[in-house]
Amino acid sequence: MSGFYWLASYPKSGNTWLRLALRSLLTGGKPVGFDEEESWIPIASARDPFDSVMELESSDLTQEEIDCLRPMFYIEQARLAKQPLIRKVHDAWIRTRAGTPLFPPAVTRGAIYVVRDPRDVAVSYAHHACCSMDEAIAFLSDPNAAFASAKTYLTGQLRQTMLTWTGHVASWLNAPGIRVLAVRYEDMIAHPESTLAEVASFCGIDAGAELIEAATRATRFDVLQQTERDQGFREKPRGMKQFFRRGQAGGWRDSLSNEQANRIVSAHGETMRRLHYI
Amino acid sequence: MRQAYDSWLCGWRVASDVALPDLMPWTGDNRPADLQIRVGSVPEHLPGAVQYGPLIQLGARAMCRFAVPGVATYLIENARTVTIAPDSDAGSAEVRVFLLGTVFGILCHQRGLLPLHASCVRIEDHAVAFCGPSGAGKSTLAAGFESQGYPILSDDVCVIDTAAPGGPVVWPSFPRIKLWRDAIDRFAFSTEGLERTRPTMEKYQVRTHRTFDIRPAPLAAVYYLRETREGEAEGISQMRGLTAVRDTCNSVYRRRLGRSLGSPEAMLSAVGSLCERIPILRLGRGRNFSKIPSMVKDIAGMHAGVCL
Repeated sequence: MSGFYWLASYPKSGNTWLRLALRSLLTGGKPVGFDEEESWIPIASARDPFDSVMELESSDLTQEEIDCLRPMFYIEQARLAKQPLIRKVHDAWIRTRAGTPLFPPAVTRGAIYVVRDPRDVAVSYAHHACCSMDEAIAFLSDPNAAFASAKTYLTGQLRQTMLTWTGHVASWLNAPGIRVLAVRYEDMIAHPESTLAEVASFCGIDAGAELIEAATRATRFDVLQQTERDQGFREKPRGMKQFFRRGQAGGWRDSLSNEQANRIVSAHGETMRRLHYI
Repeated sequence: MRQAYDSWLCGWRVASDVALPDLMPWTGDNRPADLQIRVGSVPEHLPGAVQYGPLIQLGARAMCRFAVPGVATYLIENARTVTIAPDSDAGSAEVRVFLLGTVFGILCHQRGLLPLHASCVRIEDHAVAFCGPSGAGKSTLAAGFESQGYPILSDDVCVIDTAAPGGPVVWPSFPRIKLWRDAIDRFAFSTEGLERTRPTMEKYQVRTHRTFDIRPAPLAAVYYLRETREGEAEGISQMRGLTAVRDTCNSVYRRRLGRSLGSPEAMLSAVGSLCERIPILRLGRGRNFSKIPSMVKDIAGMHAGVCL
């Protein structure tokens, strides 16, 4: 059985960073070039693999129909693969209309859930989506928040239902019947090597201290910033100045007003306490 | 029993129980039908079949069952008969969408034709095809050509006979373009009277029967269309060698299924012979697809007046 490791997170929580570190780890600690197509860890909601495995055009299906078929898609993809698969995920861990988990436990080897202080998430999301801080804060509290949900044109990705930030965190950390490793973005910054070692061990990747050190070095934030300056980063939305922007914890303090920060705490306080953010 | 509707689909005579208004009417000779489409029941399990993916069963004697939950189940037999068991109205647009999608692709593979996931237009006497990933703008570009007087040969599935004497030839499929609301608005088409592909989706079927020409056309070029990244130059560049073969392979319509229905070697050899004889080009387009008229003009200019 191959099965999946879901590299899941709310958007702007360090998923890409960890994804690059894992990629370096899997390629012997090599630097990560942004223009190499191979060895890139893909997103679970990409449209073309779905169409290819399901043998139809998802562009002729409604978003609800696609959701209902996605569990079958993952089961089939796991069946076709010889090795465990790693997929980036921004969807919340939800059930389809038929009550089936979108990410079937039967083909889930484990989920690494990357979580970040929602005040920093809001600031990062505002830069990503080129919107105001207030709009970003509202997005984090929107129970209908979704990516690729356009209805009048075709998106390269399938719709991803995110729920609120709190809903997203709870959906993954409380997902029944699967192993979940919670990784705090702040710990990735403070203790990059031990955090990466923990992720590697969770995924069954045999990595010694030297390899962990090399992968950590290859994906230091300033190295990624330099690579982005040299090669560009293809997942950067148009209009956004730089994808690898600050890579800091607590940067919200000079970007959010007290009132804005309080609004986030009052909406997500319980989950923030659970994760020791307050 | 004589079937009610007599239509034309890439040179095949199609006799059908249900109206197929997406197709051209049959205007050829009195030959027996090449393909029969019936409405009937389809068994839950084909005897001795293997499950190929979640929605498809492959049985003995080229039997193939394809189910779209909530829409219809289709049974294809001997590449000659299709039985539709619809979940609601057999003649509805949504039942025809998958008939003229995956089912059509299966028939092409079974009949030894190479279907590319591509739109295709006629420039003078030549066919020019546009492949690309979902959302790259294949249909939108085809609509751009159509609106400037270049008829389409296909919107979605471009059917190529790679073994035709004298080189690869495209068989026109049917005169229909599926366009999303944003593209409809761009061309200032009216949605009045347009059928939706699915009742709740903002995706419409535009008919182009008036300009459609059923004559097969020699293939002059295959473009691989994709949106450029920020900072990347738009325009046309040549693809060579393995890159051309790889991207063309990836553009075969229902590629994995086709390899199971025929042989992987046959498909690779068809793609190889295509890449050997036809230029495979990359076509980068900017965001918002703002330059369609000039792209159409440039591409048409390149292929007009060229004798192959």
